[in-house]
Amino acid sequence: MKPVIQLDDVSKTFAGLKQRRLIKHVRKYLSSNGSGFKESFALHQIGLTILRGDKVALVGNNGSGKTTLLKIIAGLYRPTYGRISVDGRVLLLRGVGTGMVDELSVSENLFLYGVIYGMERAKIQEKFDEVMEWAELKDFASAELRTLSSGMRARMAFSLARHFDTDVFLLDEAFAVGDKDFKEKYEEVFRNEKNGDKTYLIATHDLDFAKMFCTKTIWLHKGRLMAFGETESVLQQYVRPTQMDPTI
Amino acid sequence: MLHLYYEAGRSMQVFDRKYFQLLREISVARYKLKDQSTFLGFAWSLLHPLIMLGLMFTLFSGRVGNQINHYAIYLLIGLVQYNHFSSSTNRSMHVLLAMKSLTADAIFPKELLVIGSAIADFVELIAAMLVCLVIAKLSGVELSWPVLALPLVFLFQLTLILWVSLCLSCLYVFVRDLTYIYQAFMRLLLFATPIFYAPSFLEKGPAQYVLWLNPLSHLLNFSRSLILKGEIVPLAQMMLFFAVNLALLYGSIRLFRKCEPVFAEYL
Repeated sequence: MKPVIQLDDVSKTFAGLKQRRLIKHVRKYLSSNGSGFKESFALHQIGLTILRGDKVALVGNNGSGKTTLLKIIAGLYRPTYGRISVDGRVLLLRGVGTGMVDELSVSENLFLYGVIYGMERAKIQEKFDEVMEWAELKDFASAELRTLSSGMRARMAFSLARHFDTDVFLLDEAFAVGDKDFKEKYEEVFRNEKNGDKTYLIATHDLDFAKMFCTKTIWLHKGRLMAFGETESVLQQYVRPTQMDPTI
Repeated sequence: MLHLYYEAGRSMQVFDRKYFQLLREISVARYKLKDQSTFLGFAWSLLHPLIMLGLMFTLFSGRVGNQINHYAIYLLIGLVQYNHFSSSTNRSMHVLLAMKSLTADAIFPKELLVIGSAIADFVELIAAMLVCLVIAKLSGVELSWPVLALPLVFLFQLTLILWVSLCLSCLYVFVRDLTYIYQAFMRLLLFATPIFYAPSFLEKGPAQYVLWLNPLSHLLNFSRSLILKGEIVPLAQMMLFFAVNLALLYGSIRLFRKCEPVFAEYL
């Protein structure tokens, strides 16, 4: 299989970016005795290769660097050190309906959301009825988005996302807010995708989903790569980390 | 063939059909969101210049305006163009932050947010200038065929707004103080632009250089010549103005794209 994503010793730091006030910059600089800002690593020397068609789960506690890793692969963050190569078109889905606008109608949002993620208007038009039906939102086409619950938004966003066409999907807890029925529906979609040639890298806390869909898993902890390999074995290490390393 | 990380965010190319479809959706969304929380909405694009017109006409028509034909229309044209420039660049400057989730979390050329915002505002300029023409006609101005060249002035103004907006929006991500700096600059520009006075009102020397360097004063001159005098400004002058602004637009796009890969980190 051909490598699709390759990371060689990738590290990411966010030194002093959040300090906007000039006085805070000066104070922080002086307190570091002129040696500059102390770097804090969001990711530390990550090296891994993901092959075409791999379905990879990305697990780790909050703040472990999952989102940073996805954003680096998506090209939204530059790695501070190291090198990353991506072969093919990448699509990052973060949160529920990123880019949707509360004040616009559901149908207007569907077109906006679709074109942001690279769909052609004609294709959205063609799929419109099916998308609304799958999302069980047929009667809400002209309603303002803000009148929809977060679960309904998730259904709407995911219903359209099923038709996104790309080589690499990066999902960051994208549809985690749905109810039990929605979960069954989206798991069904992923089950059908399991043997496809698209590559998936999914940041999730849902370990059952990871076991169901992903053949490989990456475990990050405080920006470090703890394990990467077969899902079963990595998840065993992840759920019982203290047996492996008492410092975690 | 593997490609480098920063190319991943640019799978959509300029002149790609999807690029224009996204530009259209963003422009429509920005247009619909504009002034949505106000009672009068769209009408403010003309009401604001009219209120300013009332005040300025009262203050300046006696001394400054007595040598200018159709002074009220002269003022109105200046105020409409200045207000549009001011509000459009100001809104575009903040658009990357206003649509933070898109800027930071979605993969597409972010200049589309700025261009989309400028296009959404551009509709108001056209509508306000058409109302200007109606008021001019009703107040006795003889409109003649050169007025048909007015779309050229709109195009020039859009080009000017685009490059200014691209530079401002890009810098604003890193320097939030720009809001206040730009507010102060726009107040200075109000007086450095011949809105309520004729260029000849200023003495020769530095003041005239300021006018010459101010692109808005050229734009006002173009539209006033077309509407009030029925004359087209020499083609060479118009083309030079357009060429300079196109070059600046090209430079601002280059600057924007150079900074784009780090936007998500600063938002």
